[in-house]
Amino acid sequence: MPVAASAIYFLNLRGDVLINRLYRDDVGGNMVDAFRMHIMQTKELGTCPVRQIGGCSFFYMRISNVYVVIVVSSNANVACAFKFVVEAVSMFKSYFGGAFDEDAIRNNFVLIYELLDEIMDFGYPQNLSPEILKLYITQEGVRSPFSSKASDKPIPNATLQVTGAVGWRREGLVYKKNEVFLDIVESVNLLMSSKGSVLRCDVTGKILMKCFLSGMPDLKLGLNDKIGLEKESQMKSRPAKSGKTIELDDVTFHQCVNLTRFNSEKTVSFVPPDGEFELMKYRITEGVNLPFRVLPTIKELGRTRMEVNVKVKSVFGAKMFALGVVVKIPVPKQTAKTSFQVTSGRAKYNAAIDCLVWKIRKFPGQTEPTLSAEVELISTMAEKKSWTKPPIQMEFQVPMFTASGLRVRFLKVWEKSGYNTVEWVRYITKAGSYEIRS
Amino acid sequence: MAPPAQSQRSPSPSQPSGKSEVSDLKLQLRQLAGSRAPGVDDSKRELFKKVISYMTIGIDVSSLFGEMVMCSATSDIVLKKMCYLYVGNYAKVNPDLALLTINFLQRDCRDEDPMIRGLALRSLCSLRVANLVEYLVGPLGSGLKDSNSYVRMVAVMGVLKLYHISASTCIDADFPSILKHLMLHDSDTQVVANCLSALQEIWSAEASTSEEASREREALISKPFIYYLLNRIKEFCEWAQCLVLELVTKYVPSDSSEIFDIMNLLEDRLQHANGAVVLATIRVFLQLTLSMTDVHQQVYERIKAPLLTLVSSGSPEQSYAVLSHLHLLVMRAPYVFSSDYKHFYCQYNEPSYVKRLKLEMLTAVANESNTYEIVTELCEYAANVDIPIARESIRAVGKIALQQYDVNAIVDRLLQFLEMEKDYVTAEALVLVKDLLRKYPQWSHDCIAVVGNISSKNVQEPKAKAALIWMLGEYSQDMQDAPYVLGSLVENWDEEHSAEVRLHLLTAMMKCFFNRPPETQSALGAALAAGIADFHQDVHDRALFYYRILRYNVSVAERVVNPPKQAVSVFADTQSSEIKDRIFDEFNSLSVLYQKPSYMFTDKEHRGPLEFADELGNLSIGEAANNVVPTQMVEENDKDLLLTTSEKEETKGSRNNGSAYSVPYDGSSTSVFASQTQIESAVSNPTLAGHSPQASFAIDDLLGLGIPAAPAVLSPPQLKLNTKAALDPSTFQQKWRQLPVALSQEISVSPQGAAALTAPQALLRHMQSHSIHCIASGGQSPNFKFFFFAQKFEESSNYLVECVINTSSAKAQVKIKADDQNTSQDFSTLFESALSKFGTS
Repeated sequence: MPVAASAIYFLNLRGDVLINRLYRDDVGGNMVDAFRMHIMQTKELGTCPVRQIGGCSFFYMRISNVYVVIVVSSNANVACAFKFVVEAVSMFKSYFGGAFDEDAIRNNFVLIYELLDEIMDFGYPQNLSPEILKLYITQEGVRSPFSSKASDKPIPNATLQVTGAVGWRREGLVYKKNEVFLDIVESVNLLMSSKGSVLRCDVTGKILMKCFLSGMPDLKLGLNDKIGLEKESQMKSRPAKSGKTIELDDVTFHQCVNLTRFNSEKTVSFVPPDGEFELMKYRITEGVNLPFRVLPTIKELGRTRMEVNVKVKSVFGAKMFALGVVVKIPVPKQTAKTSFQVTSGRAKYNAAIDCLVWKIRKFPGQTEPTLSAEVELISTMAEKKSWTKPPIQMEFQVPMFTASGLRVRFLKVWEKSGYNTVEWVRYITKAGSYEIRS
Repeated sequence: MAPPAQSQRSPSPSQPSGKSEVSDLKLQLRQLAGSRAPGVDDSKRELFKKVISYMTIGIDVSSLFGEMVMCSATSDIVLKKMCYLYVGNYAKVNPDLALLTINFLQRDCRDEDPMIRGLALRSLCSLRVANLVEYLVGPLGSGLKDSNSYVRMVAVMGVLKLYHISASTCIDADFPSILKHLMLHDSDTQVVANCLSALQEIWSAEASTSEEASREREALISKPFIYYLLNRIKEFCEWAQCLVLELVTKYVPSDSSEIFDIMNLLEDRLQHANGAVVLATIRVFLQLTLSMTDVHQQVYERIKAPLLTLVSSGSPEQSYAVLSHLHLLVMRAPYVFSSDYKHFYCQYNEPSYVKRLKLEMLTAVANESNTYEIVTELCEYAANVDIPIARESIRAVGKIALQQYDVNAIVDRLLQFLEMEKDYVTAEALVLVKDLLRKYPQWSHDCIAVVGNISSKNVQEPKAKAALIWMLGEYSQDMQDAPYVLGSLVENWDEEHSAEVRLHLLTAMMKCFFNRPPETQSALGAALAAGIADFHQDVHDRALFYYRILRYNVSVAERVVNPPKQAVSVFADTQSSEIKDRIFDEFNSLSVLYQKPSYMFTDKEHRGPLEFADELGNLSIGEAANNVVPTQMVEENDKDLLLTTSEKEETKGSRNNGSAYSVPYDGSSTSVFASQTQIESAVSNPTLAGHSPQASFAIDDLLGLGIPAAPAVLSPPQLKLNTKAALDPSTFQQKWRQLPVALSQEISVSPQGAAALTAPQALLRHMQSHSIHCIASGGQSPNFKFFFFAQKFEESSNYLVECVINTSSAKAQVKIKADDQNTSQDFSTLFESALSKFGTS
């Protein structure tokens, strides 16, 4: 059986129960105590997200300041259980409008109980799609004051709509202005050796959509990926246009995408859910354009002094710029004093994370600012040998840039009423785990 | 009523603590119950919310049951839901009051709003009160026929709930066959999916007693049904797809074309956004092609990309769950993944449970072409801040070296580790150098030069110390100061806490003695004397054995202890292939994460230390922190290194069964006794071996102290016990809760008994021979916990015993409960005498 969860608990960081929903009788009532005693109050916390205590297995996840714990008594499917928690949390978020944390749970606990009743019955997952649930659980969450107020219109006879052929979209939607927003969000993961060679590099990307379309539209998305283009040129029996094509290592799609058609024609066609959703996810390892190069030189001058020079080169187009660039350069624990010189941005020493933190708010392409710092250390007896350097880490966002080179070639919307649509496409590349060993 | 512990521990303003609030609520609810005033629903909502929040934090609000039911006459759906939730929670403890709710729930089951019908039916089935099941059958029957799919969906799960409350009612009402009909004909896929879950559970449970049920269960994996599901799979929601895929893995296709058909049909599932669906599909593919070697290979290639995507997306917990599966596949077919090694490089911020799996995979995929890169990467981690990971990565380097790729470069790396002067790095590297030398003796020259420079004072960890001592003994010829280093270790014998190290020291002294007798003789004498006086059984035995074999003939001793060695070619695998296959069969489940087959953690007898849920809190966490290395572990370590694979599997097997274990220990304890008497006679014999007079003098002196006399055996009192007593665990638990403690005392255990108690099983056998049976046991040396029971001969009067034994202090804390309090003293004497004989008989 896939999950058959016996119970679900939400606990805060102290171990107080926020929500407690028992689905089956095969576990005792004191499971929370067992979790507190054997996981939360020991060093075990964080060493492994799956633990067995007595005859029960506990799967737990920390999400902001809440632990979500699933208890099972059989040999359950863990991947499914974790996925369920993640989906449930995103569903809760869509109800509360934003955060999922202790306060949101306390404010909405009745609603959460209601939802928990619907999304899981006797331990088996049921329908979890927020679009469908909102049809018959119309109680509005207590929203944080910053989020916009959602329209509150209960739809009569909701249950009739739950189980149509298109489970993720209801009929009869009407928008004055038909709009589609497409966001291509990529995160680059990099691991570079101290000698400047790339040890590991990949891009995980996702295409997020926001649809405000009337009726039951059929959408078709064309990308500049290799297989899709080749297939297309085959079908039209003319040679593929020269230009950059992307080889996707692996793609997964939202359940709305017609996978049979993708496999035969290599086009992404779908009837979208209403509102926001993640259309597809992909991964690329070949031909990644790294947006930044980091050239560090760190010299230890004797026992009490260090010289740090870091040059960061932006290698994307000169007209583009990166936002929120942060470079974290680790220094030893016994750092006493630091002094900086930077050609751009601001730098300071953060003792809590033992790092020099260099921030550049707006970072144009094709530039190479530098940081040079002198670090004075307290001399200690204990430190026998050279300190082991953690890698330099970088955070950034580069709008209108994709590290993979992926581009949207077209997005076609077809609906029987034949209305006009406005399409918006945005690209952004973020740092995933961008590490440079020094 | 005392405030519950929870609210005491967390006194936040939103968590009131006492009875006054509850009785206050009660009053307010009463006032509202009859009121028809406008806006009354809103105030009811507030009150209900309060009740539910008290319930959540653990305050007992069951006393409000009557008032809650009275207030439930409302049309407000949110109010209804809260009330249902409350009722579901407390009906079980208030079966009489629950009867009150039946009425309004049944009425709601006939409401015109399908939403309310469904909700009411769900709550009705969640009451979990056995004597109310008669009220369930009617509403369930009509629920299953409801025109609305939501109600049918709920009703199907309701049938399963009913089955768990009262299986016979469910079967008598013929619900399974109605479900079967629904499963085959309902238009709603969620209803079908729920039928499938319910029927799988019901028929699996019934299969053991009813032939019909087992036939039905077989029919679920018959060709027509599987095809019926597969053809509709895209209509199911993602969770139901997992369920269907799970079922498909059990299906055995008739020929290979069928296999390909299924795989073609399911191939697009590998692109599903839900990782659980992808994993379930992968399992289907792997299972279907098990017998087709080349296709199986292609499947590995095909599933690689989706698996690697799943690993790199989602939260660390999710990627851990997937990574465990990838780990399993990598271990089965490392060559398939050898070009993907870069995916297994660790990121700095990853949690250590992810890093650990990645390290193992890096080790497994190493081959001629990528070893250099992998070892270079692993060496980076050796300087990692996370010490356990640093250790693992050093071990990984060693394992790769033992796999025989490019050893040259790796040995240099390991020797560099030794020079890093970090305690843990040195310790791990020493152990590895030792293993390497056993496999590649030709490296001894290079290694010895480096190892010779390490001061034994800087090495504290038992394993590393033992490795260093082993090398000192083995290569004492080449290491200038070996006898003196070993000698100084012998001088500090008493400060050496690890038995493993002392054992190695004894052997190393012997080897050193054979290589360089004049320099070692006096130290060897001291070592043997200290060894014989050692309280640890194995150390004692080994020292005695060496002493006697030396006395018998020095050259024979040399042939036994220090023969020319052959290089070890293959190190034993830690897990048998049979177990690995079983884990593979249970792909996509907990087994893969725990790395053991499900029977080891779901069956009661395999569960080990903690059996009663009630006892969870009582066994202290500190148990694991014992410094004394139990003999069993030492033995296992030795076996790890020397046993062939098959022997190793045998020991594993017997430990898994947990039964055969007590035998060797019983045997060893008797032989110890026999040999000790022999020493006494040997010592009185004046012809002592000439070459170690000091040693024999020391022995003489030591044995003068004598062996502790066995505790006087108490004569058993006149209480006769039933040799074939039987009691099932639940009765035991129940009795244990009900009965008061008749006697509670501390008994001392004989030292021999304490030494023989390395695993709980040893004692179980012994006690059983005294008609005292064990119902649960657990713990690790030195703390063991047992629950025993016994029955009076020809009477059904029971004695229950909780016994906690600490082997290091040789004390047992015993609590006895008895049906017949008068005879508990007699029983206690009997128990004490049985326990005192343990290890001596």
